[in-house]
Amino acid sequence: MINAVLVFNNNGQPRLTKFYTQLDTQTQQSLIAQIYRLVAQRPASACNFLPLPPLLSQGASSSASGPSDAPTQITYRTYATLSFIMISTSTESPLALIDLIQVFVEALDRMFENVCELDLIFGYETLHAVLGEMIVGGVVVETNIDKIVAGVRAQEGSLGKKKAVQAASSSLGRGALPGLGAWR
Amino acid sequence: MWAPHVSAPERPTLTANRFEKSLYDLIKGLRLHKGGENEYIQSCLRECKAEIKTQDMDKKATALLKLIYLEMFGYDMSWASFHVLEVMSSAKYLQKRVGYLGAVQSFRPDTEVLMLATNLLKKDIVTSSIPNMSLPLITLPHIITPALAMSLLPDILSRLSHSSPVVRKKTIVCLYRLALVYPEALKLAWPKIKDHLMDDQEDVSVTTAAINVVCELGWRRPHDFLPLAPRFFELLVDSGNNWMAIKIIKLFATLTPIEPRLTRKLLRPLTNIIQTTSAMSLLYECINGIIQGGILDGEDNLQERDEVATLCVGKLRGMIVLDSDPNLKYVALLALNRIVATHPSLVSMQQDVIMDCLDDADVSIRLQALELAVGMVSSDSLQPVVNRLIDQLRQASVPAAELIDTSKASENPEALSIWPDDYKTEVVHKILDLCSQKNYSEILDFDWYVAVLVQLVGLLPPSEYKEDSGHYKEQEAMPHLRMNAALRIGTEIRNVAVRVKGVRLEATRAAESLVLIDNRSHLFPPGSTVGDGVLGPVAWVVGEYAEYLLSPDRTLLSLIDMSNASFPSRTLSLFLQAIPKVFVRVSQTNDPGDSWKSEMSLLLARVVEFLEALAAHPDLDVQERAIEFLEALRLAAEALDSKTPEIPFLLASVIPNLFAGLELNPVASNAQRKVVLPDSLRLDEAFRRDLPALFYDLDSSSSHESESWQVSDFYHVPGLSSSNKQAREMLPADVQPYMSYQNATGALVDSSTGIQRRMLERKERFKDDPFYIASSGASSCTSTPIHDALRTANGEDLDIDSIPIVDLKLGDENPRNVDSDRQRTHRLPRSKLVVAGDETFETLDYLPDTSMPKGADDDRPITKRSLLQVDSSSLGTSPLAKAPYPHVIPDEGEMEMAQAMQQIEEARLQMQRASERIQLEGIPAEGTLVKRKKKKSKKHIDAAAQGVSPVDNDDTEPTEGKKKRKKKTKEPV
Repeated sequence: MINAVLVFNNNGQPRLTKFYTQLDTQTQQSLIAQIYRLVAQRPASACNFLPLPPLLSQGASSSASGPSDAPTQITYRTYATLSFIMISTSTESPLALIDLIQVFVEALDRMFENVCELDLIFGYETLHAVLGEMIVGGVVVETNIDKIVAGVRAQEGSLGKKKAVQAASSSLGRGALPGLGAWR
Repeated sequence: MWAPHVSAPERPTLTANRFEKSLYDLIKGLRLHKGGENEYIQSCLRECKAEIKTQDMDKKATALLKLIYLEMFGYDMSWASFHVLEVMSSAKYLQKRVGYLGAVQSFRPDTEVLMLATNLLKKDIVTSSIPNMSLPLITLPHIITPALAMSLLPDILSRLSHSSPVVRKKTIVCLYRLALVYPEALKLAWPKIKDHLMDDQEDVSVTTAAINVVCELGWRRPHDFLPLAPRFFELLVDSGNNWMAIKIIKLFATLTPIEPRLTRKLLRPLTNIIQTTSAMSLLYECINGIIQGGILDGEDNLQERDEVATLCVGKLRGMIVLDSDPNLKYVALLALNRIVATHPSLVSMQQDVIMDCLDDADVSIRLQALELAVGMVSSDSLQPVVNRLIDQLRQASVPAAELIDTSKASENPEALSIWPDDYKTEVVHKILDLCSQKNYSEILDFDWYVAVLVQLVGLLPPSEYKEDSGHYKEQEAMPHLRMNAALRIGTEIRNVAVRVKGVRLEATRAAESLVLIDNRSHLFPPGSTVGDGVLGPVAWVVGEYAEYLLSPDRTLLSLIDMSNASFPSRTLSLFLQAIPKVFVRVSQTNDPGDSWKSEMSLLLARVVEFLEALAAHPDLDVQERAIEFLEALRLAAEALDSKTPEIPFLLASVIPNLFAGLELNPVASNAQRKVVLPDSLRLDEAFRRDLPALFYDLDSSSSHESESWQVSDFYHVPGLSSSNKQAREMLPADVQPYMSYQNATGALVDSSTGIQRRMLERKERFKDDPFYIASSGASSCTSTPIHDALRTANGEDLDIDSIPIVDLKLGDENPRNVDSDRQRTHRLPRSKLVVAGDETFETLDYLPDTSMPKGADDDRPITKRSLLQVDSSSLGTSPLAKAPYPHVIPDEGEMEMAQAMQQIEEARLQMQRASERIQLEGIPAEGTLVKRKKKKSKKHIDAAAQGVSPVDNDDTEPTEGKKKRKKKTKEPV
């Protein structure tokens, strides 16, 4: 099963954290920090699998000896400024997880129309909704992008179609975002 | 699509708050307060606290959303759990969604308000709107408790027959998570889930979700899913859905070991997929499934299996060699790592490509290749592999390499020199793993190994401890797993010196070279902590085998160098132990001429000076040892000052004898625990009532009685009556006359009676000696208390005296103390050097070993539980309804206990539910009304849903077109 889905940017700021087991906030943060350190070290040409960070390597002793409940794989994929991370047990296929991240990003792209980091910040709820259509309780329930997008649209009506940034700024009656450049 | 009327009117509420900050304002403010973010956030949190307490639901929801956002950055919001419930109960969908999101993100196992949510959750589960209904279904997996699962189970079960596949697939997964905390749920849900699984007309999403759940359950209880194998097979062959196929193959990998007939069925389609599919993920999982399912093992159909094995390994090789995709390289190595345990020869054939991966730029790939190298290496390939790794290390750390050996310049120094330190350390560990595995059985040339160890010292990354804060955290997590690399290298040198007599000289010389103060400055640059770890064990070697030292004088001066005082206490205490030993050696080697005395007193003065510096060391162990030796050596110094020309007795005999004894052998770390207390041992009884009388006796007793307590009595002497030359050489003159003791007691040298007598005496002497460790076989431990215990336990009658004395000789030609229970299955025929194994009691393994086994296997879930782990162990115990295969009952006592506990829990929950029902009765009219209404609208929606619902054409084929779809990476992001 999938134990956690994380999204953070190049500076290690979290954009999405979803843990499929209950974990105290402090540990969540240190886990994110450890994984970010691992991701930040890796060149673009490296493969999409991370070694286990210290927090996780304690419990997982023998990954080769067959399935267990302990997470043993960390798959990540970086798109421009954002890194998508999936922590999973050995019952998930590593290559399929890379594809799953791709599906996730494509679904987000459909929802936000040319998605960028800002969309995910301001479309925080939609981001969670998309993930909720794909993964429930750590188990993948949908991989078909059309169905995922349809599910989120059903929740949000026409809200999701608009870019969240535009929605937010228009509601404030402002055309441009001050300091927007610095976000990029 | 299905509920626009719900969400439309409330959309403005989240964004149009004029007077409070929206989430957008919060984010923008965060950006504007760069540097002072924390204060800004604190002020926002205060605002949120006020806002969330208002009666205005819009404000409440906005505040909660902001809190959830801040929670992502680590700001605690557990205090808001009650407000989360309030927002969850909002009538507006988008607010409700915020509430549920809050529950997912912030509820922890200790959140107490959850019990209040039961009715709300019930209501939302059976609501008519699909988005509304989805909220509890996707939230419950995060917050479920046994009590909650019990109350909600019937409602969730009813959702399995909902008309929308969206609801059905989420319900199936939700039920799985319910079953994890409340195994009863699975019993009730499984028949229904199975129906969905068997139904050909079922939506493909639902079937996939069910397969995914079965895949999670599968490895816990494979027997229960065996009857479904035909259906899985059908889905695998016909569905054409790669996501599902991957999962089914994973499932089969757990089923085939218990049903060998499946393999024959599976072989053909899997081979077919391997040969035809273009989806790499599917190809890889097929190979993986074949490996893990044990399809390659077994006897029948040998030819076919060989073909498959060759095909798999060939494909994996192809993934490594041909594709430039690092991911494929990585997973191929992963798969090979799994094969290597069972088919080492197949993998060894791919050695060339695997070794190339050791040079890969990617750390993950290199680590996998390293792992593989450890599994694959044989005595032939060990040296080349280790040399290669050392070359890499050397190139990666250029400055250190210059000192050790001016090696050729690397081809691509830039790629290698960026190796992170922890990877370098990992390589060192792996080299040590490689060499020391199976008690050094793969090493042919120990001289080479000693040289390697010395090189490694220079190649270790400068420090494992300092650096930024992150590194010490990693260290914190590690120490239980293994020693730090530096200490390990030192320990290896010590191990070789102790175990392999043939290279003891070389090992001691190597240790000497490390200890010498002149070498130290460039071997261990200032600020490095490598020396601290290495030098401790190495100093022990130098002291223990001082007779092999090239230059005892210089070694001693290095040991007592004042700069040593700054070492950690563990290292220091080993230094302290070595100093007198080396000093004795120096005093013996130096020519006892005229200058001898003055030289010695000068040297002594320096040693005493060093010890004095440590006499007030904060570490008690160091302090004690320092003072003990200090006093002894002061006495020696005084003795030297006397005018007599001959060497003082203290220096000639007393101090050397402190360290002279029999050779120290490696003893297994658990050997002490296996010592059985003799029956005659009574620890709570006084030795003797009349103590003064004892002293009186002692004074008047003849001197030969005290003589009989020789040093050798306290040692395990493997060949006591035989000629153990090595041991003898080490014995100084006054320890040797064991034979003379025999003579003194008047034994005739008549063979048989003498032998018997000696044996009896030996038996007597060792009867209560806890230090006496018997070595393998009955031959040598005939007289130990352990044997007695054994014999009484076994009821076996052994005539001890009939055993010929020859058997007591455990001479050097006989590899004694071989640790046959785990390591010694194959001997090393080519190795000329004998490696001593750990001494232990081999025959006593069945004895109750109090501390070991329980920690190891029995309570695994308690001892080590990984962080994100979901505990599914409860699933293994309760059988599914109508499970046709009897599953293995783990332990009857445990089962009974668990059942009893479950009954109690159920009773408790039923009482709880009963009390809840009473509460419910207060609002019956409304409840029924809603229900009726719902039925109508549900029909309506169902019709709409069916009209729109896309027919299952999985048009994306996600696994195949990965490269094609590689995103037009959006700019600017």
